[in-house]
Amino acid sequence: MKRKILLQLVLPLLGLILLFSLLAFAPGRSQREPALLEMSVILREVDSAHISTARQGMEQAAADLNVELRFLTPSSNNHAQDQLQLLTREVEAGASAIVLIPADRELLSPAVEDAGKASLVTLETEMEGAQRYIGVDNAALGQALGQAALNGVPQGGSVLLIDSAPGDNGIRERLGAAAAVLTAEGREVRICCRTDSLSADLQSALAQATADAVVAFEPSALETAVELAWSQGTFPLLYGAGATPLIAAGLEQNAVTAILAQNEFTAGYLAVQSAAELARHQSPDHLEPLPFTLLRQETMYLPENQKLLFPVT
Amino acid sequence: MKGSWRQRWRALYHRSSIQYILSLSFTAVAVVGMALMGLALFLRFSASSNAQAEESSQQVLAQVNRNMDNYLRAMMRVSNTVYYQVIKDLDLATEEDLESSLDLLYENNRDSLVSIAVFSQEGQLIAAAPLAGLKASVFPHRETWFTTAMDQIENLHFSTPHVQNLFEDPDHRYRWVVSLSRQVELTRKGSIESGVLLVDMNFSGIEQICKDVTLPYSQGYLYLIDGSGELIYHPRQQLIYAGLLEENNLSAADYADGTHTETFQGQRRSVTVKTVGYTGWKLVGVVPRANMLDNYGQLMLFFLFVVFFSIFLLVFANLRLSEWITAPMKQLDRAVKELESGREPVDFTVNGPYEVEHLSRSIQSMVSTLRHLMDDILEQEAQKRRSELDVLQSQINPHFLYNTLDSVVWMTENGRTEDAVVMLTALARFFRISLSRGSNIIPLADELEHARHYLTIQKMRYKNKFSAQISAEDGVESLYTIKLIIQPILENAIYHGMAYADGDGEIQIHAFREGEEVLIEVTDNGPGMPEELVEQLLSPNGPAVSGAKGSGIGFRNVHQRIQLTFGPDYGLTILSEPDNGTTVRIRLPALDKTAAAAYTYGREGPP
Repeated sequence: MKRKILLQLVLPLLGLILLFSLLAFAPGRSQREPALLEMSVILREVDSAHISTARQGMEQAAADLNVELRFLTPSSNNHAQDQLQLLTREVEAGASAIVLIPADRELLSPAVEDAGKASLVTLETEMEGAQRYIGVDNAALGQALGQAALNGVPQGGSVLLIDSAPGDNGIRERLGAAAAVLTAEGREVRICCRTDSLSADLQSALAQATADAVVAFEPSALETAVELAWSQGTFPLLYGAGATPLIAAGLEQNAVTAILAQNEFTAGYLAVQSAAELARHQSPDHLEPLPFTLLRQETMYLPENQKLLFPVT
Repeated sequence: MKGSWRQRWRALYHRSSIQYILSLSFTAVAVVGMALMGLALFLRFSASSNAQAEESSQQVLAQVNRNMDNYLRAMMRVSNTVYYQVIKDLDLATEEDLESSLDLLYENNRDSLVSIAVFSQEGQLIAAAPLAGLKASVFPHRETWFTTAMDQIENLHFSTPHVQNLFEDPDHRYRWVVSLSRQVELTRKGSIESGVLLVDMNFSGIEQICKDVTLPYSQGYLYLIDGSGELIYHPRQQLIYAGLLEENNLSAADYADGTHTETFQGQRRSVTVKTVGYTGWKLVGVVPRANMLDNYGQLMLFFLFVVFFSIFLLVFANLRLSEWITAPMKQLDRAVKELESGREPVDFTVNGPYEVEHLSRSIQSMVSTLRHLMDDILEQEAQKRRSELDVLQSQINPHFLYNTLDSVVWMTENGRTEDAVVMLTALARFFRISLSRGSNIIPLADELEHARHYLTIQKMRYKNKFSAQISAEDGVESLYTIKLIIQPILENAIYHGMAYADGDGEIQIHAFREGEEVLIEVTDNGPGMPEELVEQLLSPNGPAVSGAKGSGIGFRNVHQRIQLTFGPDYGLTILSEPDNGTTVRIRLPALDKTAAAAYTYGREGPP
């Protein structure tokens, strides 16, 4: 009788409880949120205001993908050695995902190669060894800037190119491409190398010899040039890459002739998304280089360009 | 195939117990009932859940709509206040300060306003708050908000979100605004001229209203579009602007108020639409169906568990119930099986429903009747067998007695008194053994003695034409046999073998044991018999065998009696060849006194 009761009642009841437990605690679709991923973002500049839009994109991606971001800055702008130390420390600490804006690809290359298990994505500068690059085609952007400057500089004219980010990086790549275009088209190219103060360097360079146009290849250099242009009565035509409120104001007030703007929000978002997918062993979609758009004063308030220049906050 | 299934079903039906069939039937009916009822409840509940979700979405949107309406009306009140309480009563040519009035209004609503400005019909700035400097690069009369206001002078016009770029801002702030513009009548030196009043609403005010809205199933979200489908607010607006995300806003512009189902980028979604009054904007609530299905998954899980649990309880209850119902039948079945196996006594008493109790009583009555009938039949059979044996035994005596007595008479007449005494003595002992006090089973010694007396008589009658020896193995004589089985054999041997002998006839009787059997061989050296005759002699339905004397009935009589008593394995075997004599072998079971009692009938037991 006891055996019968066991077979008829207890065992099926246990089976039902097991079934219910399996069904009740099996993760449903809505419960399948990935585990929290800690991600380090190693910046190139001390002040991240210039990449505030990209940062918004990163934070949006972090919120969407359950990622916790940690922003790490070097002790001074473009300090590649600091970046190397930060990167090495993060890799040794077992960071699973890193987004890097490299200051010097040559110096950082061994550390990037040794990143090992960490999923490393670079922004702004493409590097061998990194698993993914998010950004524009720097050479193409440099060529486009060179082409834009050609319009304002007559044959034989002089163009001052601002080398604001010393080291082997995407900014330098843009500069090289622009210089090649301008030189090829018969313009004199001069380089203004950054020392301590870019503003002083630029003033000095312009004082030494006049220039028909100045070209900056990243937002902070362009902002510096805009402020210098406002402070001076006359200033050469100014071209540059980047979109910040100050640059937009410069464009609006004709201090800047033209800019090449990329969607920084997209870049930030995609960088974090790619790094997270790599860290979670998903295979991210192949990404083409991000597009960039040439903006002038008369086109900056077109609806699409408004969205590019001024992120909705 | 159909037939095969039917056969299988029948085979299963015949193999199964009544409890199994009852359990299975009850369970099947209950499970089907439960499943149908559960399904109906599930469908009803899910439909109700859907309706509730839709209603909930609509309620949420209605609430957001009220908030939005209040917000827009507040902006419109600001616009009305500026127009009807400031501009209408103001002559621009006088000293009255329009800007301070605008500043005051702005300060009172600074959380939701970015700027208030009045423009002439040429687009020149008349007054503005909080910033007063118009950018050199700006041409207000070319802006959409300006031209729309001037074109449709009766209405207030709400723009889509755009960057406010009118005024010089030392901090270079570019803020997203929604512009509310209207055509106004300005008084200058007593004459009326047209102008445009612009109230720029802070986009974040709209964002605050729409942002933290929770739609059913938590994963839903809400966005706001204008009449043409242009996005005004979306929780992931920047992603959409960046091209990383798409929204079905252009299609949603065509939806009427209410709940719709759409498929966008392969995802089915429930979309609830509510039009914001006056502006023509539309609030769109989106709930992915997958989230609803997740909720249904939980519901289905609960439903399945309830169904399984109910089925389990039903199965258990059915098992117990069918066991209880079939217990009397099983008890009856067991009793019948015990009866079949021959167990005695069998109790057919069962406690159960009326039909089963009636059945048990009927079976008990039938068994009782059957037993009586069987006893009667057995008794009748025994009686019949005894009658047959008696008839067979009775066939032996008359003509022998007549012949013997005839011989005694003949001897007495011839003065052979002593021989007559010997014959009569032998005859008396012969008959005493024949009677054996009515018993049919006697010791083998008596049977041999009976044969010896018979031979004594016959030798005297046939004037010693033959000799006879009787021998038996040790111990055989104490065994038992049915009586009068040797004498008929001897009678045949004498009549058919010795009658014509000339003193050289020999009859040998030898009894011996072979395993569990006793063999008595009666051998004579008479003329023997052909094989056909041998076969006829023992055949129960064989014709009477012609001969000089007798009819051969003796053989058949003995053979039948032995087989009637001990079974077909026993009886006579005749071995004979013409001119080579005859051996008749009597095969009997080796019975001691105890075993012989089972075959005994008569007035007394075995002597």
